[in-house]
Amino acid sequence: MAAPPAPGARVTSPPALAAERQVVWPPRTVRTLPSGLLVVLVESHTIPKFTGQLMFRSGNAACAQRHAGLAEITAAVVRTGTASRNSRRIEEELRRMGADLSCSAGADSSAIAFSGLAEYSQGLLELAADLARNASFPKEEFEREKRRRLDELKIERSTPGFLAGERLRKVLFGAHPYAIVSPTPEHVEAYTLEALRGFYSAHYSPANAVFLVVGDFRAAEMLAEIERAFEGWRAASPSAPAYPEPPLAQGRCVQLVHIPGAVQTQVLVGNLAITRRHPDWPALTLANSIFGGAFHSRLVMNIREQKGYTYSPRSAAHALRDRGYFSVHAAVRNEVTAATLTEEFYEMDRMRALPVGDAELADAQNYLCGVFSLGLATQDGLSGQLATAYLNDLPGDYLETYRERIRALSAANVQRAAQNYFDSPNARIVLAGDREQVGEQAALFGDVAVYDAQGNRM
Amino acid sequence: MKSLQIPVEHTTLANGLRVVISPDRSAPVVTVGVYYNIGFRLEPQGRSGFAHLFEHMMFQGSENAGKMDHIRLVNSSGGVLNGSTRYDVTNYFQAVPSNALERMLWLEADRMRALKVDEENLRNQRDVVKEEVKVNVFNQPYGGFPWLDIPPVANRNWANAHNFYGDFSDLDAATLGDVQAFFRTYYAPNNAVLLMLGDVEPTEGFALAQRHFESVPAGALPPRADVSEPPQTEERRAVVEEKLGALPALAVGYHVPERGTREWHALAMADQALHGGRAGRLYRRLVLEKQMALECEGGIHYPMGDVFDYNGPMLMVTRILHKNEFTADQELAEYDAAVRELQAKGMDGAELEQVKIKFRSDFYSTMEGGMGGYVPRFGLMHYLACFTLFDNDPLGIHTALDGFLAVTPAQAQAAAQNYLVPTNRAIVIRRPVKNGGR
Repeated sequence: MAAPPAPGARVTSPPALAAERQVVWPPRTVRTLPSGLLVVLVESHTIPKFTGQLMFRSGNAACAQRHAGLAEITAAVVRTGTASRNSRRIEEELRRMGADLSCSAGADSSAIAFSGLAEYSQGLLELAADLARNASFPKEEFEREKRRRLDELKIERSTPGFLAGERLRKVLFGAHPYAIVSPTPEHVEAYTLEALRGFYSAHYSPANAVFLVVGDFRAAEMLAEIERAFEGWRAASPSAPAYPEPPLAQGRCVQLVHIPGAVQTQVLVGNLAITRRHPDWPALTLANSIFGGAFHSRLVMNIREQKGYTYSPRSAAHALRDRGYFSVHAAVRNEVTAATLTEEFYEMDRMRALPVGDAELADAQNYLCGVFSLGLATQDGLSGQLATAYLNDLPGDYLETYRERIRALSAANVQRAAQNYFDSPNARIVLAGDREQVGEQAALFGDVAVYDAQGNRM
Repeated sequence: MKSLQIPVEHTTLANGLRVVISPDRSAPVVTVGVYYNIGFRLEPQGRSGFAHLFEHMMFQGSENAGKMDHIRLVNSSGGVLNGSTRYDVTNYFQAVPSNALERMLWLEADRMRALKVDEENLRNQRDVVKEEVKVNVFNQPYGGFPWLDIPPVANRNWANAHNFYGDFSDLDAATLGDVQAFFRTYYAPNNAVLLMLGDVEPTEGFALAQRHFESVPAGALPPRADVSEPPQTEERRAVVEEKLGALPALAVGYHVPERGTREWHALAMADQALHGGRAGRLYRRLVLEKQMALECEGGIHYPMGDVFDYNGPMLMVTRILHKNEFTADQELAEYDAAVRELQAKGMDGAELEQVKIKFRSDFYSTMEGGMGGYVPRFGLMHYLACFTLFDNDPLGIHTALDGFLAVTPAQAQAAAQNYLVPTNRAIVIRRPVKNGGR
């Protein structure tokens, strides 16, 4: 390192980075209980709290063909009652333990997640176990959640970002259940208590679950508390579902969700890609970071900082458990809709055609490795990294070796990932905006299929 | 009760810049922030939205770090960054591996010393801000509701009552001269606090702060502007069109007692009993029991912040998204019944105890996280900055909860009786244009 400047002197160039402190993923305790429940514990003493995620490897995709969104409403009703607790008691107990709890479901999992004061850990674990094992599905709570869901659907259908995202999933996934991100009102009306109970008893089982617990405790003591709270839990595990193939994309296609009077257009471009288990995943992550996954990425510099088309453009590699996809998103002023697409394809094609420079590659590697380290500093960050590793069935040393694998990538790896997974020649283009304002711009990129907010072809 | 010990060390440089360090070596990362004692409350009249537009300009280049250098140097050091504008503060922060600490300090010092921006930068960021407003307000169901809707109805002092995101005509009127004048007036080291949290040795942190910041000249600060509100004597109401959402919504806001007073602590506990998640009285009544609403949440300084991070007049706001088959007046009648019940009977000791436990627990979580867990100690930074800028007392973090945890049931009840009255409130109704909601 250079000698420090004299006091009072101005430093006119950025100081070099000091030597990096070693990044060590904290030790974890991993046990499979006799019930088959996989428990993963990590101590983190930043605040006197702890957080737990009891995650079942079944979500909306597991039942999409019969009941779209069934996992989600099942989770919502799980929270409202057990054999020994009514809804009000659950909520007041949580408050008394300083706790927050959510029951939710995504495409691939259903989760009972909580955080609370470490001093009340036993009580909170018992409550979580009660919800996981003894949910009572009160009829009136079910009816209320159903009505609530119907109203929520109305809000979703008036949200431009939702409409664009939903349409992209439909066009990417076709008959695959990942095509469905939200139920129709008819789906919701058709939910029955029996269907919810059926999903719960089939999927909320210990061998289908992983329990990730992070926080201010001693691992041995926490393990004993968990064993007590979940003792005697027996249930059969569901078999792994098989999903239909998503359609093959050939050439570009353009779909427009017509929102009369929209003052801005949601521009979304996407294509199928890979899951986190694929060996190319680190290269795709790195390519995405250079392309549009970070503030200092080519996409953000181009259409935000140079051209001012948009506020928060971003690209992302989305890894669901069975399939993955890549997408580029920007909300832009109507007049520059076509210009935005042109720039996005230019940047995608540039990544495909030319290797990135050494400095840009090293910067992006530093970025991904640094952001990973930030996740180690909080209970939520650790918990999130664990969920990624365990829900995607990644190798046991995934977290410990992540940084090395990012550092080992070359410009050629990045270019190959862009060629394989930034599929600009076959991109699915989705616009959510006013047809009168942007229809002609959309047509520059192919034949335009127009839909209304309810998903009907216009 | 297990309590949290937060190490805090602080000093003041010769130019008046306060420096606060909270070390924790458990992970090799550090969060660095600079907070300026200026928020949207004090932006110039005729320049609504300027404090926020200015925040964008702080990323557009400084004396030795040109446009994009700031962002590139943070990202390429393995870090993330952002800034935000609030009622009384504007912040700039980055979380990085700790080997980049000095580089972050250099960047922050460089832009505190001299902003170097041009017309092109201003035009570019004005365009970006307009798209930000569209994506968050005009093209979003219930956009800006109620944080932009309720202040103009509840308040009379322009500082508290104007459009904080900015009228587009005001954004268009902003000049480079305005940018430099705002910078000279408010972005002086003696109007700011520098914070370092995480993997930093305090002695080293203070030495680095001195090396990079001490040569930034102090400024002549204007006297603190009058942001006080005249007393309210009648209920205030307004109706706003909801252009996208299909359901009606309602917001209620009460002026709260002056920050730091006993009544303020007491009303905050009443607030927690009324809001405070699914166990709260309002959610239970309106959403769970009567099933008249889909959503009901709120609090003091909702949804922009909490009870700790403002310095001036403030509202306790409730936001209700409700079903089409009920009118706003029906919702309000039920809301009032919940408030009257609290006023008439108060809380029993058990309810108040629960509320306090949850309040304490939330305080810890806020301090640790923020920004989805990727800016470690964001909340701790935020609280330390506010206590430093508002009270010149970063160590206030150690006693911040005390006044709230000492509130008695009678005090909470009295605060509800005195403040949660119609003559002290504003009501805004968002009426959907699409389905003729009532």
